[in-house]
Amino acid sequence: MINSKKSIITRYILLIIFSLIAIFPMIYMLSTSLKPNGALYEFPPKFFPDKNELTLENYKYILNESKFMRNFFNSIYVSVIAVIISSIVSTGLAFVIGRFKNKFTKIIFSCLIVTMVIPGTTLIVPQFEMAVKFKIINSLSGLIPFYIAWVIPFSTFMIKGFMENIPNSIIDAAEIDGASIFQVFYKIAVPLAVPAIASVSIFNFLSSWEEFPWANTVINDTKLRTLPIAITGFFGQHQFTQWGYVFALSVLSLIPVVVIFISFQKFFISGLASGGVKG
Amino acid sequence: MQIKNNSSKFQLGALMAPGLLIFALFTIYPIFRLLIASFHDWTLASMVKQPFVGWNNYKTVFSDKTFWISFENSIVYALVTVPGQMFLGLLVAILIDGIRKISVGFRVLNYLPVITSWVIVSLIFKYIFNTEGLLNYFLFNILHITSKNVRWLDFRWSGLWVAMFLGIWKGVGWNMVVFLAALQQVPKVLYEAAELDGCKPIRKFFAITLPSIKGSVLFAWVMLTIGAFNVYTSIKLITNGAPAHKTETLLTWMYYKAFSTGEFGYSAALSFIMALTLCFLAIIQFKIMKKKDE
Repeated sequence: MINSKKSIITRYILLIIFSLIAIFPMIYMLSTSLKPNGALYEFPPKFFPDKNELTLENYKYILNESKFMRNFFNSIYVSVIAVIISSIVSTGLAFVIGRFKNKFTKIIFSCLIVTMVIPGTTLIVPQFEMAVKFKIINSLSGLIPFYIAWVIPFSTFMIKGFMENIPNSIIDAAEIDGASIFQVFYKIAVPLAVPAIASVSIFNFLSSWEEFPWANTVINDTKLRTLPIAITGFFGQHQFTQWGYVFALSVLSLIPVVVIFISFQKFFISGLASGGVKG
Repeated sequence: MQIKNNSSKFQLGALMAPGLLIFALFTIYPIFRLLIASFHDWTLASMVKQPFVGWNNYKTVFSDKTFWISFENSIVYALVTVPGQMFLGLLVAILIDGIRKISVGFRVLNYLPVITSWVIVSLIFKYIFNTEGLLNYFLFNILHITSKNVRWLDFRWSGLWVAMFLGIWKGVGWNMVVFLAALQQVPKVLYEAAELDGCKPIRKFFAITLPSIKGSVLFAWVMLTIGAFNVYTSIKLITNGAPAHKTETLLTWMYYKAFSTGEFGYSAALSFIMALTLCFLAIIQFKIMKKKDE
């Protein structure tokens, strides 16, 4: 495209404004977490802390309390297991639905798509009843199966697109060589679908990592809390909210997410892009 | 591929079974349970025996004022945040599409709100918009626009606006990525030809850009509408329905009825009404886009 210098400069200025708006609340959170955790609200509120009031006391408190380390590992445990299982089972489903088109697989696929329309939280009452019956209330294993079930439709939908695009010739050649369906699956289909599986796994990790309503309903024990529940746990615990602690724990819980995002940026983009272009 | 013999059938079954089992047990079964529960009297008082009550729960929902308030709030939330996010996301995508240097940097910064959890961003917004918070300090003490600290979170529409503002702010990055991917596939030749014909930028947008990215627009529209009705955490943490349930959305009200007052039958009926509304909306959305295709 032919662009004049002036329009390029306008673009940069607008982009800088948008980016500042996007990160402003995050910077405010970071700066509040570095201020002393004294009053309910400081007056005047300052966007940046003064040099002499900069402190790590909030972080020290969080890191010294063993329960927050537990919360951190609970979140890791739940998210990692949910991601591993959901990507394995969704890849299997996507392979069969994408490569074997018949009435049965079509019905299954439409069932999956229809449930994507229904918000997961609408099912919370019957799911709660199930969790009580299965005695998985107030336990981390009460979270995992539901997290897996929630992401199966979207994961299958995304990976199926990749499965459909594998050239027939490759699979036919393997069949002539006498490969079984299992062999075609893990020797050909899975390696070729790795980008889709990776991007789906990242999204699933995030959705388990940040899940709030279900964990908040099922988990009572402070030691069994995941991070989002631990963060909101500061409210109502005392007369006033300790915003310094809230934001210090928030910043700590964001670190793994940002690390994953920056290391796998490519998959974030490609995953969303393939979904979007396909429509 | 062909299904040749029983062994292949078995292998196909084995590949599908785990996923189908989890899906059937934890998603499909609850949907049917929900449907059944919505026709039964199920409260804390009738925990063990749940008598069949026909359409009673639905009647109670439809005659409940707070249901209609939460319905209205959810609709307004969708009507404001969906176009808001799409417009700003598309704008940022177009801006980034036209530059070379540090475009990845802008992408990363604008995507940060998307990956930050709803719990965290809701609490930051609550902190900023609180009566003693940063926003009021700027408006009252520095800019002197307001004559006193405004209690943003204590009124229906201003409370909802904070949540809607949050929804838009958090969603721009997602839309940016979706639209940017689509924009990069538009053949540049089309733009060059249009420029030779002396096309103005706005005309180029409506004649070339928009038709070329229609698939992504539909995708975003459907996904965001579902997402808008999914709003729960931000309302729960920012206003918690206050004042007097005026800022409840469908999900927060459903949750309140189930877990604070124990009216599970009511909640089930409300959930079902919501699910049907969303299915209906999705069908309409697909129909509209198909018509435009022809």
